[in-house]
Amino acid sequence: MPDLGRLLGDLVALLGEQVAASSLRLGPVASVVLLGVVLVLLSLVARPPTRWTLRDVGRLAAVGRAMALAAESGGAAAFSLGTAGVARATSALDRLQTLAALPILGIVARAAARSGVPLRVTTNDPVAQHMADRVLDEAHHRTETLERRDRSSAEYLGDGRATAASAAMVRVGSPAATFVAGSLAEEGILLLDASARRSASTSFGTADASQATSVLLTGEGTMVGPELFQAASDLRGRSDRTGVTAANRIVLAAAATVVLGSLAAWLAGIDVSAALVGS
Amino acid sequence: MRRSLPATIVVLVGLLLLVNFVVINPLLAGAAREVLRLVVIVAAAAALAGVVALVLRHGTDLWQGRGDRLGSAFLLVGLGAMLMAGFYPGSTGAADPAVRWLVAALLAPIVAALFALLFLFTLAAMRRGATLRSRQVTVMLAAAAVVVVLLLPLGGPIDQGLASGASWALSVPIGGVFRGMLIGVAIATAIQAARILLAVDGADD
Repeated sequence: MPDLGRLLGDLVALLGEQVAASSLRLGPVASVVLLGVVLVLLSLVARPPTRWTLRDVGRLAAVGRAMALAAESGGAAAFSLGTAGVARATSALDRLQTLAALPILGIVARAAARSGVPLRVTTNDPVAQHMADRVLDEAHHRTETLERRDRSSAEYLGDGRATAASAAMVRVGSPAATFVAGSLAEEGILLLDASARRSASTSFGTADASQATSVLLTGEGTMVGPELFQAASDLRGRSDRTGVTAANRIVLAAAATVVLGSLAAWLAGIDVSAALVGS
Repeated sequence: MRRSLPATIVVLVGLLLLVNFVVINPLLAGAAREVLRLVVIVAAAAALAGVVALVLRHGTDLWQGRGDRLGSAFLLVGLGAMLMAGFYPGSTGAADPAVRWLVAALLAPIVAALFALLFLFTLAAMRRGATLRSRQVTVMLAAAAVVVVLLLPLGGPIDQGLASGASWALSVPIGGVFRGMLIGVAIATAIQAARILLAVDGADD
């Protein structure tokens, strides 16, 4: 009859067998380096606030004002999650852009919920639509405006990159504020220009280098390249932004000191380090 | 605590795939394969649910006479035609000639016609961008004008100089910008993946 000791012994034996049956795919050095990079990302870089930049990326800081104006005019807001989706057959880089757009959607959805502005989210991927629906739920829950939840919707437009562009081109009505965040391809200029055409306020972003021009040409607020990933992290509380500003100034001052000190030492033979640190 | 279960699943699956990438082990490989199969099943179910939602929404719009009724009708008729072509008795599914004809004779030309508008939309976007008067747009339009001048087919020795200038512009300054952007996107993507693995929440406002 098996007892607890035998069970533990079997488990240890199983672990030993699995370790013996394993080998490192990349070799010891490369594996340690890879896991070290992941560890650094997890422990340091992956912290939410972006530390070294402070700019109103994509004019997202003005989302509240845009929603207030939309509420005054009785208008609605529109948000497109790009054309890569989450479960579509595209590259991982494209799909991650959709995931990066979800926090931005959260910010917009909360502002819309507070202002009572209906928000229509469109996507060409059913999984992304479900996630967007969940973000809308969360936004109304956090802002305690559940009675307004039915006015906002996340809609699946159908598959294909051209679908999103054509839907924007034939859209009925004029949203007061329009947001597009996520991966774009050849259809980018069609989607963005059609979205911007009847909208009072626009904010567009994509990390696709080939569509950077489309974003810059059509959007008032723009998030190009890594800025799409950066944008959500920049929208922190006021104290964090103050901290970032201070950190930026300190870094600039330190860099300027190093450069000027080096120039002084090189050109005039003056050692400023003695005056600064007493050595 | 409401998010603890999804976050735990995300972290566990992410770690499983990461360890499977680093370590060769039959048990891990089997587990990772099963997880990926589950992902495919979830995606297929979501696609089916998406189609149902699409039909319901446009059917409701048509029934209640709201929204773009003509567009809704076209969508439902097109969906029905494609389903009939793919599911009629004796059909070979996506490889059926009827499905292939619908794609090649209807869908492809429609998409091609849409993309044919790119040039016109780009010109319109340039005009819109110029009215925005942002520094980024100004720099970009100036650079585009320089590249257009460099690519002019003038002929003669001037043409060779312009061509070499265009080649240099594409490979050095423009190529440098693209490479820098790609490196930045790669780093940001790694950070985003790590944030998903950590289930770090989105930004506050």
